[in-house]
Amino acid sequence: MSPEYSELLRQRIAEVIARYPKKEAALLPVLHLVQRETGSISPEEEKFIAGILDLKPIKVREVVTFYTMILRQPLGKYHVQVCSNLSCTLLGAGTIIDYLKEKLGIEIGQTTPDKKFSLSTVECLGACEQAPCLMVNFDYYGNLDKERIDRILASLT
Amino acid sequence: MVKIFIDDKELEVSNGLTILRAAEGAGIPIPHFCYHPAFAPEGSCRMCLVEISGLPKLELACSTVVREGMKILTASEKVIEARKAVLEFLLAEHPLDCPICDKAGECKLQDYFEEYGFFASRFKEAKEKREKKVQISKNLILDRERCILCTRCLRFLSEITKTQDVGVLNRGIHSEIAVYESNFIDNHYAGNLAELCPVGAITDTDFRFKTRAWFLVKKESICPMCSRGCNIFIDSHPGFARTPLAQRVYRIRARENQDINSFWICDFGRYHYSYIDQGRQERIVLKKEAKDTELSWEKALIILAEKVKSLVYLKKKSRIGVILNTWLTNEELYLADKVFKKGLGLENIYVVDPPSEKGDDFLLTEERTPNRRGLKEVGLPDLTPDLGKLALQTDLLLIFGTFLVGRFSVTELKSAFDKIGTKFLFAAHKSALDSLVDVVIPTPLIAEKGGSLTNVNGKVQSFSPALDNSLGLPEWKLLIDLAKELKINHKPFWQLSSPQAILEEMGRGIPFFK
Amino acid sequence: MEEKILTKDFGLKNLFKIKVYLQQGGYKAVKKALEQMRPAEILDEVKKANLRGRGGAGFPAGVKWGFVPQKTDKPKYLCVNADEGEPGTFKDRYIMSHNPHLLLEGVIIASFAVGIHSAFIYIRGEYEAVADRLEEAIAEAKADGFLGKNILEIGFDLEVVVHRGAGAYICGEETALLESLEGKSGHPRLKPPFPASIGLFQCPTVINNVETLANVPAIILNGADWFVKKGLPKDGGTRIFGVSGMVKNPGIYELPIGTNLRKIIFEAAGGMKDGKTLKAVIPGGMSAPILKADEIDLAMDFDSLVEAGSMLGSAAVIVIDQETPILEVLKAVSKFYSHESCGQCTPCRIGISWINKIVRRIASGQGEKDDVDAIICLAENIKGKTLCPLGDAAALPILSICRKFRQELEGQLSR
Repeated sequence: MSPEYSELLRQRIAEVIARYPKKEAALLPVLHLVQRETGSISPEEEKFIAGILDLKPIKVREVVTFYTMILRQPLGKYHVQVCSNLSCTLLGAGTIIDYLKEKLGIEIGQTTPDKKFSLSTVECLGACEQAPCLMVNFDYYGNLDKERIDRILASLT
Repeated sequence: MVKIFIDDKELEVSNGLTILRAAEGAGIPIPHFCYHPAFAPEGSCRMCLVEISGLPKLELACSTVVREGMKILTASEKVIEARKAVLEFLLAEHPLDCPICDKAGECKLQDYFEEYGFFASRFKEAKEKREKKVQISKNLILDRERCILCTRCLRFLSEITKTQDVGVLNRGIHSEIAVYESNFIDNHYAGNLAELCPVGAITDTDFRFKTRAWFLVKKESICPMCSRGCNIFIDSHPGFARTPLAQRVYRIRARENQDINSFWICDFGRYHYSYIDQGRQERIVLKKEAKDTELSWEKALIILAEKVKSLVYLKKKSRIGVILNTWLTNEELYLADKVFKKGLGLENIYVVDPPSEKGDDFLLTEERTPNRRGLKEVGLPDLTPDLGKLALQTDLLLIFGTFLVGRFSVTELKSAFDKIGTKFLFAAHKSALDSLVDVVIPTPLIAEKGGSLTNVNGKVQSFSPALDNSLGLPEWKLLIDLAKELKINHKPFWQLSSPQAILEEMGRGIPFFK
Repeated sequence: MEEKILTKDFGLKNLFKIKVYLQQGGYKAVKKALEQMRPAEILDEVKKANLRGRGGAGFPAGVKWGFVPQKTDKPKYLCVNADEGEPGTFKDRYIMSHNPHLLLEGVIIASFAVGIHSAFIYIRGEYEAVADRLEEAIAEAKADGFLGKNILEIGFDLEVVVHRGAGAYICGEETALLESLEGKSGHPRLKPPFPASIGLFQCPTVINNVETLANVPAIILNGADWFVKKGLPKDGGTRIFGVSGMVKNPGIYELPIGTNLRKIIFEAAGGMKDGKTLKAVIPGGMSAPILKADEIDLAMDFDSLVEAGSMLGSAAVIVIDQETPILEVLKAVSKFYSHESCGQCTPCRIGISWINKIVRRIASGQGEKDDVDAIICLAENIKGKTLCPLGDAAALPILSICRKFRQELEGQLSR
């Protein structure tokens, strides 16, 4: 194993692998674990994981590029992901997205220069009862309006 | 067996057969891209959908197994519309660059579009931009705009070579075939991918932009590069009158034979074809004091026969040496046995072949020559000559092939040959031996003659000429002429006029060849 | 009007803790099933209950369990489909975060009935907090002897692993879910073979939705007859309807199967928000064909919705008001499926992307007069011709939108 990955990460990876009858089945959980530590899955990480799971690196990359939550480039500290699916659109997701763009001064897919915020739109987050909603990293925020956005952004330091 | 109906044809087919196989067996082709008989059905191209009476939806012919009484329609309006739909989808995102595509002329997409009606495109949107020149192996280029994602390449590399060199990246419309970074496909079966690709997505730089498929004459042959005996096609260019081509062979392709090579050949067999057109002996030459004189075969035959006869007459036949090789066909080795060993009673008969090299656990064998097994079955000894001894005990040496050059240094050969009175060389290629012998007689290659070869597992395979030969007579013909000239006591052989006739005769004497 | 089975204790504080759950009679069903019933009896009971899959397809759970071979040398697996990606759907999130032990009870009973010793809960990646809650619940259940080795000391072992997805709607399709669980891209498999015979790691596998399994404990405790009476004879129990969009009170409503759709919107969910007018309803998650405002007097059960030309799907009701241009709805649908197509088969990969390109062009004011016809024709060419149900999931709502709101859509075409 490459030395730059923490002892804790290696330990967690070993635990996760042990849960599956086949090593390669641990690929998604291992990607989650590594991404939590490194912020994204670069070719370095792909090769590291391929080595651990006895996979060809291309098999890791297939999975990395298939799933939208696995990032190939690091994002800002807070990844603001606004649902742009139907229920949220009906209740004003468009306005929310425009407001966030204006407040953060960035377009969808961009990161603020201070690397604090990245802005994305995503498909249904499974929280339609709180539409319009968004996710910051893994925290959900619903029933959004401009004031609530202001408060959310202010709380993220 | 089950009884089924395909387009009103009543058929008895084996249990467990898919509709596609059953239909093909009955001469009803069902169009497909992703299906390939070497792999489990993938069902992703959706081109082979057929109608089954009683079922609401169209079903895949490639994966649906026949059942008793099944009524299948392969050309109903519904089926034709579905095929058109798949073609329309594929062509919507296809670059339509057939004029510069090497696959043109043998492309499934082109063929099916022609078959299903040249409809006009309704696609008004912008096509996805993709990379058109991605190198994926030493010889292979991937054009992602042409790719229809049938994943035949991926499955070949997973199931046949088990090297898993490529993957499908991204998803949806952005899906694409890729190798990892610069990890090119690195196995010596990669060349199969260009053939396996149903469209022009994977092309071979060895063939890319060299000619058009429809100019090529495609003939069956056997690969002589090792003792597997893989079945091949030799694709050659007959040339135009205004440009007589030095290069005839443009491509070697695998030819299906489930007993030998399945659908595949190795890259060694695929790419080493330049020897067919390069460095060939063109005339019979008598070399005398640095002056070459061109001879006819009739004259050369008389000279050769006289030499042999005089040594035999002088009871010096032990001073005649013969060096054979196993690029010779079963028939030729048989005749060599009849003429030299049985007819003349010669003892100094040797074999010099290309050296063995590492094989693999699939097709490529260590023996880099096609007919060593044939030699054994004919009953000729497999002796390697000791060059020093040979020089001292030989007055007349008949050499078949040029493989001595690989075995001995030119200095060694020269010092030995200097001691030998007369040397006849029967060879397809020019080599360092040319200047060391007295008479050079050009011979054709396996691609240019007929005969049979016995592969490593004892499978005898006959073949016909895949290319015209105007350079020399095949060895079997030379040996029969020699036998006639020497009046060797095997008159029946003098009447043999084709490899087939020789093989039949062999079968009467050697059970193996029956 | 609420007939609650699954959500009756949702109001309790800390229901997700095993202590609270046990106080409510939790794990009684597991005890009954494992201590007093034979696997075959459990199977019969669930079959009799006509518990139909709550994920979308509505396949009877008992029948599904019955497909798994009894005698096999291979291990058998249970996969809990908690991918919940169908737009409009959020009910499983409620079950797992409010009452994770109810799901675990269902998992244990199903595993016992089928002879399974290893279960995976495949949960969508975004539900990280929910996954953590499940992990805690599993640890608690293990500590109390309901999971792990020798459960209730009857010699039955069961391990449950929570497996997080990573953002791919297609992984809610059961064979794509299996591929994903095996560490691969979510490319659906060709069927047959069906997962019951060749599933996870090539072994016999049962795949059930969260809500489906969460119904099992009540069936065991109260019997199949009781369960059937809660719903319809061929479609037993309740459904958790997730109502979202332009309604006063969006949320989950557990109601008997067969409850009238108008009632769900105008009574349970409090009617239209801000006095708006109803335009259309998507009754079963985004893949369900759309219903116009005058088509909503119908019973919300599998068969009635099929008859009405739509489907019950995940029972996610999305309510659309008059002010929302139908093009917005079409855009959301085509964008979503184009984004979520796995790319494996031709009609889905290229067809949906093509439709999405046309819809975007119309939305940008560049629509042409034959565009709606083109969309209909393309969707027809996708329908019924793809490798997995995603093709239909996209084509059917698109077709329904184009056909039912053709006039409005054509009004958007500029050329």
